[in-house]
Amino acid sequence: MMLKLLVKKQLAEIFRTYLYDAKRNKARSKSSTILYFAFFVLIMVGLLGGVFGMTAMNMSGIISAGFGWLYYALLGLVAIFFGAFGSVFNTYSGLYLAKDNDLLLSLPIPAATIIASRLLGVYLMGLMYSAAVSVPAAVVYFLTAPFTAGALLGALLWIWLISVFVLVLSCVLGYVVARVSLKLKNKSFITVLLSLVFFGAYYFFYFRASNMIGELVTNAALYGGRIKGSAYPLYLFGRAAEGGGLAMLALAVFVLGLAALTWYLLRRSFMNIATASGAVAKTRYRERPARQRSPFAALLGKELGRFTASPGYMLNCGLGLLFAPIAGVLLLIKGRDAAALLASVFGGGTGALAVILTAALCMLAGMNDIATPSVALEGKSLWLVKSLPVDAWTVLRAKLSLQLLLTAAPTAFCALCIVIGVPMTAAETALLLAAVLTFLPFSAAACLFLGLHNVNLSWTNEIYPIKQSVSVFMAVFGTMLYTLAIAVLYFILEPAPLVYLACVAGVNAALAAALIIWLKKRGTAVFRAL
Amino acid sequence: MLKIDHLTKTFGEKVAVDDLSLRIAPGEIYGFIGHNGAGKTTTLRSVVGIQQFDAGEIVIDGVSLKADPLACKSRMAYIPDNPDLYDFMTGIKYLHFVADVFGVGAAERQARIRQYADTFELTGDLGQPIAAYSHGMKQKLALVAAWLHEPRLIIMDEPFVGLDPKASHLLKGMMREVCDRGGAIFFSTHVLEVAEKLCDKVAIIKQGRLIRAGTMEEVKGDDSLEEVFLELEAE
Repeated sequence: MMLKLLVKKQLAEIFRTYLYDAKRNKARSKSSTILYFAFFVLIMVGLLGGVFGMTAMNMSGIISAGFGWLYYALLGLVAIFFGAFGSVFNTYSGLYLAKDNDLLLSLPIPAATIIASRLLGVYLMGLMYSAAVSVPAAVVYFLTAPFTAGALLGALLWIWLISVFVLVLSCVLGYVVARVSLKLKNKSFITVLLSLVFFGAYYFFYFRASNMIGELVTNAALYGGRIKGSAYPLYLFGRAAEGGGLAMLALAVFVLGLAALTWYLLRRSFMNIATASGAVAKTRYRERPARQRSPFAALLGKELGRFTASPGYMLNCGLGLLFAPIAGVLLLIKGRDAAALLASVFGGGTGALAVILTAALCMLAGMNDIATPSVALEGKSLWLVKSLPVDAWTVLRAKLSLQLLLTAAPTAFCALCIVIGVPMTAAETALLLAAVLTFLPFSAAACLFLGLHNVNLSWTNEIYPIKQSVSVFMAVFGTMLYTLAIAVLYFILEPAPLVYLACVAGVNAALAAALIIWLKKRGTAVFRAL
Repeated sequence: MLKIDHLTKTFGEKVAVDDLSLRIAPGEIYGFIGHNGAGKTTTLRSVVGIQQFDAGEIVIDGVSLKADPLACKSRMAYIPDNPDLYDFMTGIKYLHFVADVFGVGAAERQARIRQYADTFELTGDLGQPIAAYSHGMKQKLALVAAWLHEPRLIIMDEPFVGLDPKASHLLKGMMREVCDRGGAIFFSTHVLEVAEKLCDKVAIIKQGRLIRAGTMEEVKGDDSLEEVFLELEAE
């Protein structure tokens, strides 16, 4: 009963914007809620499911060769990594940093019930991401292999056990981060650093795996035999999905055993960590000469302070800051080879290359959606900026500028690497730069525009405005779709590359101008009314 | 200093503040009392410009809040009932942030931070993140920040909640000093003894309507403020 109540509260918080219209201060109509959920499902199934469905199709040769277990084992690993990647950052903040932990712990609710309700949010996120891989994998399997009831049961069990395993992985990492955080002074940056190491390992594995897939498909029998001989648990992992009775039992015992152990450890440590104040030495204040800044600079500093104080904020909304320079260095090293490869595929000059690089660079810049959660993150301290003698536009401009400034530097570095490392004509280079430079204010304004819609200021955990709000969801996938459209439309319409890039720059500039005008006029009114 | 004329604010069907009018002159400490949900916080939030209202006029130091909200806000300071400050900042960063926004010069702010933080024995903790502060420390920090730009009008919602007895005593002295310099204080409280001893004038609000206002003597006569308040509430 108690668990049901807490789970209801947790779900209401996660799906608040789907169920509640903050603008009208009332519950959404049924049709509106259905539309919101339909959009969400469309994005998850259409975009993520589509991408991994294609991957599964490319690997279906392994099934035809009689190595269905290998196919499931490989995609299962991808599902685990993708699921953990998607949900790992929820665990620490969702479990240990929830603002209502003290309140709930003061009520006659068993700690285990609180943990269970919190874990449900983490589990749902892990399930969502892992299922984006595991479900298309199972669908493609049944399109290729004959259908049996045993295989269906195996696939369903496999999908579920993967999601449970993802939860276990997320909990373990969340626990490590929580333990480390208690002892650290600069915990935000250390947490980001640890997470980036995780990202690095993830991408290293992922890229290596991508290269290996082709090799595996062609030599499935050879590699299948080797893996079965040297990594038998991996064989059982894949075999369970095909409906192998012993494999299903072994996998279930292993995963559920791990889950039980994790649950036991979490129950034992939760109170200690959730209520600990940390043993970090107190910083003694020493007066230093003060320097007066303008109100705008003060607000910009405040936004930067908020961004750098939260690992969740940095990792979820600022990944482009890291990926753009990495891509730049890679292009410096491999740019000429990539150009030659693309020229051989698409023929002609370097026009197509310029368009693809424009879309790629915009996509990297679009990975930063810092401005989107910045309004909701004001939370209960919103009264502060509203009571200070600064107009709403200055407040919004600071939010907009932070994203613009932080995104501009790594994007400029990447663009410079492209100019040096990739052979293009002067006109192509100039138009690539124009298209990217106009994209930056457009994406920042679009992020803030979305952030001013469905604002939830009464969150109990910052992960909701940062990661789980509809606005953030739309910012992430909207930018992805827009940048993909830049490349796809070029190949559909086949225009002259220079004309096309000029059009992209023009559209970006026009959209940026329109959004900034909206923000100045309507956006400020929306902010004042919050 | 503060003129509220026919202020009305509704939330859906509920009338939170109903045609409320008040005058606060320079040099006055004005108490605002009423039961929970009577409309005190809504009135205070409307005065500081963070709550849009449906009808009426608010004038601060001769400037209309609707016509020039920024000019009004630069003359005021506000302390809400629950000081939700920027937890990610240290105390000193927060004070510099507020000083920057109000355009307080480097030398003046340094002197005032020293003065008020020392008064509340907060100086040693200014390097700590606000997240590590207790409720009382946050309240003290909010008070230091409010006094930084020497506002003409200070609006406070339950300012004594969470303060230790010494800090409460110091705050009362600081409130009087503001009024002695020609400023004014408008604050809400449930502590009627404090209101009775501290305020020059008092207003009682019930269900959004002002039911009595005036000097302390006019409002309570020979009775205690508590007796008058309870009597009015019972009517």
